[in-house]
Amino acid sequence: MTETKTDELVGRGNKEGADLFREWFDSLADAAKNGRGAAYVFVMGSMAELLHVFDFPLVLPEITSLQTAVRRVADTYLAEAEDYGYSPDICGYVKADMAVQLRGGQHPMGQIPKPSVAVMSNACNTYIKWAEIWERMYGIPLFVLDVPATRQAGGQFQPGSSDFERDRKYVEAQVRELITLCEQVSGKKFDIDRLRESLGYANDMNEGWRRVLELNKSKPSLFNAVTDGTVYLGVSNNLRGTKKGSQFFKNLVEEMEYKAAHGIGTQIVEKYRLGFVGVPCYPIFRRFSEMFTEWGGNFVHSTYLNFASGGGNLGYQYDVNRPIESLAEGYLISVREAMDNMFHQDRVVIDWVKNYELDGVVYHPIKSCRTVSTGLADGRRAMMAATDVPSLFIESDMMDKRVVSEAQMKNRADAFFEGLASRREMAKVAQT
Amino acid sequence: MSVYTSGIDVGSTYTKAVILKDGNEIVSRAMLNTGFRLEEAARKAYETTLEQAGLNESDSSYLVTTGFGRHLVGFRDVNVTDINASARGAAFLFPKTRTILDVGGQTMKAIQLTEEGKVKSFRLNDKCAAGTGAFLEKTARYMGYKTEEIGTLAAVSKTAVPISGVCAVFAESEVINHLSQGMSPSDIMYGSIVSLVARSVQLLKRVGMNPEFTLIGGILRFESMSHVVREQIKTEVNVAEGDLVQYVTALGAAILGYRRFEKIQREGQQAIAGA
Repeated sequence: MTETKTDELVGRGNKEGADLFREWFDSLADAAKNGRGAAYVFVMGSMAELLHVFDFPLVLPEITSLQTAVRRVADTYLAEAEDYGYSPDICGYVKADMAVQLRGGQHPMGQIPKPSVAVMSNACNTYIKWAEIWERMYGIPLFVLDVPATRQAGGQFQPGSSDFERDRKYVEAQVRELITLCEQVSGKKFDIDRLRESLGYANDMNEGWRRVLELNKSKPSLFNAVTDGTVYLGVSNNLRGTKKGSQFFKNLVEEMEYKAAHGIGTQIVEKYRLGFVGVPCYPIFRRFSEMFTEWGGNFVHSTYLNFASGGGNLGYQYDVNRPIESLAEGYLISVREAMDNMFHQDRVVIDWVKNYELDGVVYHPIKSCRTVSTGLADGRRAMMAATDVPSLFIESDMMDKRVVSEAQMKNRADAFFEGLASRREMAKVAQT
Repeated sequence: MSVYTSGIDVGSTYTKAVILKDGNEIVSRAMLNTGFRLEEAARKAYETTLEQAGLNESDSSYLVTTGFGRHLVGFRDVNVTDINASARGAAFLFPKTRTILDVGGQTMKAIQLTEEGKVKSFRLNDKCAAGTGAFLEKTARYMGYKTEEIGTLAAVSKTAVPISGVCAVFAESEVINHLSQGMSPSDIMYGSIVSLVARSVQLLKRVGMNPEFTLIGGILRFESMSHVVREQIKTEVNVAEGDLVQYVTALGAAILGYRRFEKIQREGQQAIAGA
């Protein structure tokens, strides 16, 4: 009986995630074929819950771009954008997307529809310049959701305070402006009950995501935050505020609770529990992960799962009785959390060292994203000053294999694990 | 009965082998160009050390490989990273070492050690060979000199020519430019060393400037290199005498081999299983 249950549940999240991914890309290809205009959005502050009310197909160009890297064809896309005139030094996601646009929306997983509107937050400063390219290409309106960020690390305004309420009202006013814009672009009247429905599904997803991340404190950990985690993260973005997304996370929680109860970990024998800071190395995604797993290192958490889920890790629950006000509050809290996971990651990581019982932390700055990479060296120093946990700093890229040096990264990773092993030996000796 | 252990450092430019007796006495060492047949180079270096020591392969109880080609030596017992091996070698020669600067053919490393001589943290150069031995070698070659002449050439310099870039590929155009302006090859060579050291000191600062400092690696065989490092960090530095400075990592591998062999003798093979 247990064996049957294990077969049914273990690995289900990865399989369902992959299936949903394909379905989502297929739906976008249909939309492109039928000439439907999409809403182009980003992973940090997508406003998907609201955009579903107007039946926009949602395109997340960051995800389309990273798929070109995972499928090992990003180089041709990057080269095409560089031939067109973009500098090798700018964001790889932007360049891959430009090539996709120049190809009429064609990408390795199908085709994306053209945009009717683009919605972005201020969480990433490239978002705005990126969307301005679409504005020029397609003559579409842009909407920037300006979310007040943390002014001082550790001093975030909390609900109930007048400062928070002022920020919340500022976001709410923008949400109302966005509703008007969506009505104009889609020709559909805003339906508050549909928003309630979408928020309800998002609540399930947020709570599921929070719970799944929490469950990975288990020993052994239940999933690899860099590999498996990225699959779950994809669903949290692609299907935010949908019934399918809600069901996926309910199923995922069931799987993880089952694994936790039965002591089922990942496919490796977990010797070292690691934290990951930054964006994964997609051009050699599998190999990158193996550099750690072959030593028994498993990533139990990653700042990527927090910021690239738009702060969904907090599990914010919308109040469907006051949907617009609550949507504004949720975005203020969650997008701020996403930014904190990039700009104040030291605080997040120091917390993990204790709560996830980390043996080491891997920092992975990437050449083409200064937003997530600039503060990592400082964050690492702060983490080292606050804890006794060793760390590894390896640089590569999320898209561009020209700046990924596998041999050099492996050498650093090997030395890191030799250090962890020696440290463990010394601790054993000290105990005897 | 004496225990012999061996270390082979398959570096990007040279392959070095060391045989150690009872974990504390170097009985032989050999070095040759790595070339592109890495295992063959390791085999040749190893056999030369065995011959020098008057030993057979079966006399060596444990063989540890290190360096960028460490994985490709099929006849090893185990491989370790050059970071760990360098730490062991440097701490063996200079026990109070806390910071190591290793400048090799294509890599530059700064390593901080604990009081026990173990690796605490490390920093490596960027992905390119900028600021490593390759840069000096190419600079010398463009001016018609051999690698072995770098030390002599720099020693007669009167003033260092400022070198702005440290790119091994673009070195040629910069060298031609300086030569065309009447600069002497010795001053250009010395300027290249000053520029390279500035870059390595930057790396040292990133890992932490804790004395004692020990300099290792092929490039340190040129005396002007350690001289400029002393000048720039304003502190005395340890440098192994003669060509031993190039063998520190191989020596460290042989020491690790001895430790491991001892452990196996003491606790059995399972003591290191999965390590």
